[in-house]
Order: sequence, then structure tokens, then C-alpha cells
Amino acid sequence: MTTSNNDSPWSRSSWLDRSSILLFFAVWELAPRAGGLLETFLAPPSAVLKTLWVLLQNGELYGHVTVSLGRASAGFAVAALIAIPLGFLLGGNFKSFERVVNPVLRFLGQVNPFSLFPLFVMLFGISEISKVAMIFWVCIWPILFNTITGVKGIDPLLVRSARSMGIRTPTLFFKVILPAASPGIFTGLKMGSGTAFFMLIAAEMIGASRGLGWLVWNAQINFQIPQLFAATVVISVLGLILNSLLELLERHLLGWRVAANNN
Amino acid sequence: MSASESIDRVLNGLDTAEGNLCSYNKTGEPTQVLTSTVPSQKSDHDSIKWNLILSALNKKLMDYYGVAVLLILWELAPRLGWIDRQFFPPLSSIFAEGSKLVKDGTLILHIAVSLQRTFQGLICAIALAVPLGFVLGGWFPRFTRFLSPLLKLFGQINAFSLFPLFVLFFGIGELAKFSIIFWSCLWPILFTTIAGVQEVDPLFIKLARSMGSGRLILFVKVLLPGALPSIFTGVRIGATVAFLMLIAAEMIGASSGLGWLVLNSSINYLIPRLYLAALLIALLGMMLNYSIHWLEGLLIQGKDELKVA
Repeated sequence: MTTSNNDSPWSRSSWLDRSSILLFFAVWELAPRAGGLLETFLAPPSAVLKTLWVLLQNGELYGHVTVSLGRASAGFAVAALIAIPLGFLLGGNFKSFERVVNPVLRFLGQVNPFSLFPLFVMLFGISEISKVAMIFWVCIWPILFNTITGVKGIDPLLVRSARSMGIRTPTLFFKVILPAASPGIFTGLKMGSGTAFFMLIAAEMIGASRGLGWLVWNAQINFQIPQLFAATVVISVLGLILNSLLELLERHLLGWRVAANNN
Repeated sequence: MSASESIDRVLNGLDTAEGNLCSYNKTGEPTQVLTSTVPSQKSDHDSIKWNLILSALNKKLMDYYGVAVLLILWELAPRLGWIDRQFFPPLSSIFAEGSKLVKDGTLILHIAVSLQRTFQGLICAIALAVPLGFVLGGWFPRFTRFLSPLLKLFGQINAFSLFPLFVLFFGIGELAKFSIIFWSCLWPILFTTIAGVQEVDPLFIKLARSMGSGRLILFVKVLLPGALPSIFTGVRIGATVAFLMLIAAEMIGASSGLGWLVLNSSINYLIPRLYLAALLIALLGMMLNYSIHWLEGLLIQGKDELKVA
């Protein structure tokens, strides 16, 4: 048994390592050809790609993707715009108030978004707003909690030394507090965007007439197996792209932190 | 120094340590603010004692103030017409609905069904993922390296987009719900187990080896305790995801359970019942989370003691 920290296979990935994915696709391609139940329910990657190509060419896919991304980013943006300033206020300026409302916020954060969806539908109708509200609801909690934790976790020594050097409040905020809290905020944003995309598909499956979730749902109802697989693939790929984009942004924005750690 | 003086010093120390928390009593009105001078009279001493008791009480109750205000607002706002009673029924009507459902026995049934589904999926996922994680992380690191991109891809797939596929394969029965919960909690537990096993300090393993421990002892005494915190993180994530997926699964296709209760009451426009189900789901999710935390504390505390000894 060999286990070591430096050589953790889990963290590495090179081209050769991707061979398992190629193998998986090969099996997926061949399995439906064996016939039987698999033939009916499994669409091979070639058929999925063909369907994807058709959807791409008639512009349908583009429409669904833009609608879905629009909803997700609307909910996410509103949540971030409310949660980050609120987190700064609760974590920094009104600490004792934060102590009192924290259990309430934790409880609200636990409220299952699916059980709220009927309420949102009742309040806003089966409209865009109810879907955006659901995404907003799942995004706001991780961003808020992580911002509060990030702001509370700032080393008081940093603030005091900046103060003693005669810094003014706005400069203190932009030069000390914001950078020191940004890792926490970023964790929240990353978690929020992940759940936003996750919930988006669910919301679109429950009540929508466009979007990727609807595409999955519609394909299942009409028993269009290749389209069902195609939509699943598009959703997975989009999720992966979103994730790696955020990681890239994090490395770009918070690169100084990693550099400081390495020294 | 007399005994009472030393008590006073302790009291004052506590007062300053607690900051402004202790200068307010339960009703929120400022009580007598303590001074830092050592009181010499007995009456002052008593008042300090009272303040200390109040402040300790206050600190304990701190977690509940916000909740209490929320609950009171929830009861009063619809009654006073601040918000639409149709959409936000007062708390008492939700409780009335709850007791009605408890009396005819349906509520217990729904809760039991939901919990049973969650635990079935979660326990089966743990039973598969933890041994698999140990085998992959500990015994076959090369094979794990080969598999890891594929496993990560599977873990990344949105569970909702797989839902129709599961329904296609297994029908709208219990099996589809079980498999979706199983699938969505399998990945976090598997990933954290593999990471946990691989993060066990190799020095510990070499040490145990050099002292002649066999495979079984190595596993029980070194690997398992070392990987346990990481595994628990996975189980906690898995339980949260399982509960989320459960409600979704029950809303899409079921005839019992809390998710179905939400859907059914929204279709039939039974608003208090809808709130009742939503509240119960949130409470159950919290309880699930806390009980895993508790279990974690119980097991990992033992590990720390072992380390010290």
C-alpha cells in the first residue's frame, strides 16, 4: 500500500489519465449495440452528437442555453448584490445583532427550495420571477454566510495597524477589509453559483416552457432518448465550464494569496 | 485578600469579557451597568450576582431571541393585516393544521416514509462508498488515478438531469427515488473517503508497520481514525444532498412523504398545510445535520484522546 501526500493521484490529471473517460465513452457507444433493454433506453454517443448537431443547427440549443444562463445569472447577481453588503454589515458593523439573527438566518438557509417553489408560484405565478426567486433563494445563503465568516475572520491586528497608520475608513475598507474577506466571499460565490445551476435545472423541470431543464423534461415525456442524453450532456458540460471559469477567476483575483503562502 | 473581594474581581473580569452583552436583560431594557470599581457594600454585591445570573441567562437565550421575534411576527403580522393572510397564514393556524394531521395519523406516516427513503439511500451509499473509497485510495492508487477523471465527471453530472433517466430505467416506483438519492450521495462520500485515506500521514503507516502491526490493526488503528474526519465531511454533504433530492423526488413522483405533502397541498390550495410541510422539512433537515455533527463529535473526540495518550 502506498499512500503519500505529495503523490496524491487524486489531485493530478494529465492526458494519459483521461483515458478512463475515453474508455467510458467506448463502452457507452458499444453497449446499446448489444440490443435488448439497453438499446431502447441508452442512446450511444454518436446518436447524441447527431442530435446535438441538429439542435445546434436549428438554433434551438442556443436559445435554451441563453434562457437558462440568463435565469441563473439573474438570480445569482441579485443574491450577490444583497448578500455581500449585508454580510459586511452583519459581520463587521453589527456583530451583536448578527449574533441574534444568526439562528434565524441558519434556519431560513435550511428551508428546502423545493418546498418554497409552490409558494413562489402562488406569489409570482408560473413566470420568470418564480424561477429567478428560487435561484435567488438558494444562492443568497452560502454567499451571506461565507461573507459573514470572512469578515469576522479578519485579523484585528491588520485593522489596528492600518488604523494606527492613519488610514481613513473608505481606504481601510478597500485596502484591508475587502481583500482580507475576499477568500471567504469567493468561497460563497462559488458555492452559490454551483447551487444556482443545480436548482435552475430543477426549476425548469417543474415549470417552464424553455431552457435546458425543460429540454430534459420534454425529451423524457416524448420519449426522445437521444435528446434526453444530449440535454444531460450539455448541462454537465456547462456545469463543468462554469466551475472551471470560476476557478480561473479565483486564481486571477486571489493569486496574491497563493503567492504569499508559497513564500 | 478576602474571599468576597476575589469573587468581585472575577465578576468584574467576566463583565468586561462579555462586553455589552451583559448590560441588557431578557426584555432588552438596559439593566444596571456594572462599574469597574470594587463594590464594598453587600447590596452592590447582590446586584452584581443578579447581573451575572442575568447575563449568563442572556447569553444562553441569545440564540433564541431572533427566532422568538420571528415567530411572534409571523403570528401577529397576518392577524393585524400587515401581510396577506391568504398567502402567509399565522403560526397558530399552521399548528392547528399540524395537530389535525397528527390526530388522523397521516403526518407521522409522511415523516416516516420520507426519513426511511433518506436513510435507505444514505446508508446504502455509505456502505458502498466508504469501503470502495478505502480500497481505491489505499490499495490501488494507480487504478484510482486512472479512474479519477471519470468519477469526477460522474460526480459533476447534475442529478436532476439524470432524474428522467432513472425514471425511464426504474419506473416511478420506490426504486427510482432510492436510486436518485443513492446516486447523489454516493459521490461526495466516495471522494472524501479517497481523499481522507490518501491524506493519512505515511509516517503513521510506516511507524505502525515497523512496530509489526498487521493489516487489520493498521486499518482499524491508523487508517480508519485518520480518514474519519474527512469521511464525516462527505457524509454530512451526502445527507444534505440526500434530503434535498428526496423532496424533489417526492414532488415529481410519489404518493406519500413530505415532498408529496408540499405538492399536494399546493395543488389543493391548502396554504397552512403547505407551510407545515415546508417547516417540517426544514426542521428535519436541521435535525439530520445536527445528529451527524453530534455523532462526528462523539467519534472524533475519541480519536483525539487516543492521540494524546
